[in-house]
Amino acid sequence: MIELTRVEKRFGRRLAVEDFTLHVSAGEIFGLLGHNGAGKSTAIGMMLGQVWPTAGEVRVCGHEVSRHRRQALRKVGAIFETPVFYDYLSGWRNLEILSHYTGPTPPQRIREVIDWVGLTGRERTKVKTYSHGMRARLAIAQALLPQPELLILDEPGDGLDPEGMHEIRQTIRRLHRELGLTILLSSHLLNEVEQLCTRICVMNQGRKVFEGSLADTKRAHQWVRLRANDFNRAAGLLQRERLIEATRDGELIALAPDVGTEAIVRRLVEEGIAVYEIARPEQTLETFYLELMKREGGAD
Amino acid sequence: MTLFLLQLRNELWKLFAKKRTYIGFAMFLLAQNVIVLMFRFTHGPRVQMERVLEGNGYLAGQFISTLSVATFMLLPIAYMLLPLYASLVGGDLVAKEAEDGTLRMILSRPISRLRLLALKWLAGALFSFVLVMALGVFGLAFASLWFPWGGLFVFIPGEMFSVFDATAGAQHYAVAHLMMATKAMTIMGLAFMFSCFNVKPAAATILALSFVFVNFILMNIPYFRDLQHWFLTYHLNLWQLMFGQPIPWWRVWQSLSLLVAFNVTFLVIGLTAFHVRDIKS
Repeated sequence: MIELTRVEKRFGRRLAVEDFTLHVSAGEIFGLLGHNGAGKSTAIGMMLGQVWPTAGEVRVCGHEVSRHRRQALRKVGAIFETPVFYDYLSGWRNLEILSHYTGPTPPQRIREVIDWVGLTGRERTKVKTYSHGMRARLAIAQALLPQPELLILDEPGDGLDPEGMHEIRQTIRRLHRELGLTILLSSHLLNEVEQLCTRICVMNQGRKVFEGSLADTKRAHQWVRLRANDFNRAAGLLQRERLIEATRDGELIALAPDVGTEAIVRRLVEEGIAVYEIARPEQTLETFYLELMKREGGAD
Repeated sequence: MTLFLLQLRNELWKLFAKKRTYIGFAMFLLAQNVIVLMFRFTHGPRVQMERVLEGNGYLAGQFISTLSVATFMLLPIAYMLLPLYASLVGGDLVAKEAEDGTLRMILSRPISRLRLLALKWLAGALFSFVLVMALGVFGLAFASLWFPWGGLFVFIPGEMFSVFDATAGAQHYAVAHLMMATKAMTIMGLAFMFSCFNVKPAAATILALSFVFVNFILMNIPYFRDLQHWFLTYHLNLWQLMFGQPIPWWRVWQSLSLLVAFNVTFLVIGLTAFHVRDIKS
């Protein structure tokens, strides 16, 4: 659905996106993660033909975006961080205006999407009277008008209260389940991504630093929590015998390759060190992300 | 073609539904009324006009009319308010959408940048035309409240002295407004060009106004008198020629063709700038 191959974007001397390759398959909910300024919005801009890449190739729905933008975006819907509309016009009129940039849209289709997002009854009132949540729903409605196959969401939960965030999450799940859309979700809200996405890509300072499934992020974790009567002595012993590679925070040990927790326990007990607990702490996307950023040395 | 018309209708909706579109228009109407009342209740301009007419052997009573006063109103409006208002509208067309963030939403759809700009320019041009025509009609309406229908007298010191009967005067008045629409469109197009760059709407408006006023000032410096025809403002004033006796058509066509060339140039520069530009939040 989306293919970026060795894409680069410079703004003057600043390199915003560097050697970026990405592949999003049909049917996925794919998360694009990174702190503010990591290059997520620039990458999305290139997918939508709003930002011209300096090098590389961007293909959406099988079409090269720079040269065949119309074909590439025919079945694409997009939502940006702060839903902005023509506030002085009604929701209906806004949808009518935006839909006609894609092609002629029958009123029946506009009615359908209004029903789908639950704005029926409010479509004829001016957008300036809408709450933030209603604007978010109108943004989804405008993205659904062209009957898209791909939905690009650029930080859609920004500025919403927890209720609004929950509503957006439910809507994204519905879009995927009921309409079978491929969804690219860009966000710096790790919890949101963790709950929704099957695969993720992490960007840092314009570069891709990780791409894989959420399961991969959990597997990538090597730390084991060890609680013993003398952690320092235990760690020293295990390191001398090359059973562990590193220690952290006075309770975490990184096992050497092919070493299991049972071997650790056996060796410590042989040395008379009491072991109270040995377990792999549950890895969250947050801990994975923070570790990744620490390694990259670029988190804000 | 049907889709293009639908999209044009949408652009006009956006333009005409905005309150700020009418704030400037209200200022025009206010200015027209102030000028009419000043003409009616003070002696300065009216007495001067009577003196000029009678000094040239005409009966002032026949020419101090709705048409003459409405035309008298045109000068300050055409020189001051019209450039300001046309550049305000032109400066908003692209830059305001970029500033508000709606441009990013539009450009996530499969519409080409060329088509989008063509639609916006056309909407701005239609708006300019409607604005000038409305000003002409309102000018006549306000003047008719205080002055009788009659012949048209136009006097621009050192440049023009023309008298027409009521029918001919009305025709000249109408054609002058058609030509003034080209002035409004050109200034709108100039501001539109600046609006296509990555600037704030106010900056686009100020740049366009500065361009027009600098042109006007330079054109009127005696040193540049022989080079007047090189200045945009010289050609923008072709509406005045419509009150000539006879109308210098060769000059009109020359200015019209140059204005077309100016407009095409502005549009091409704007389009190029807009096309190469990255649209970011």
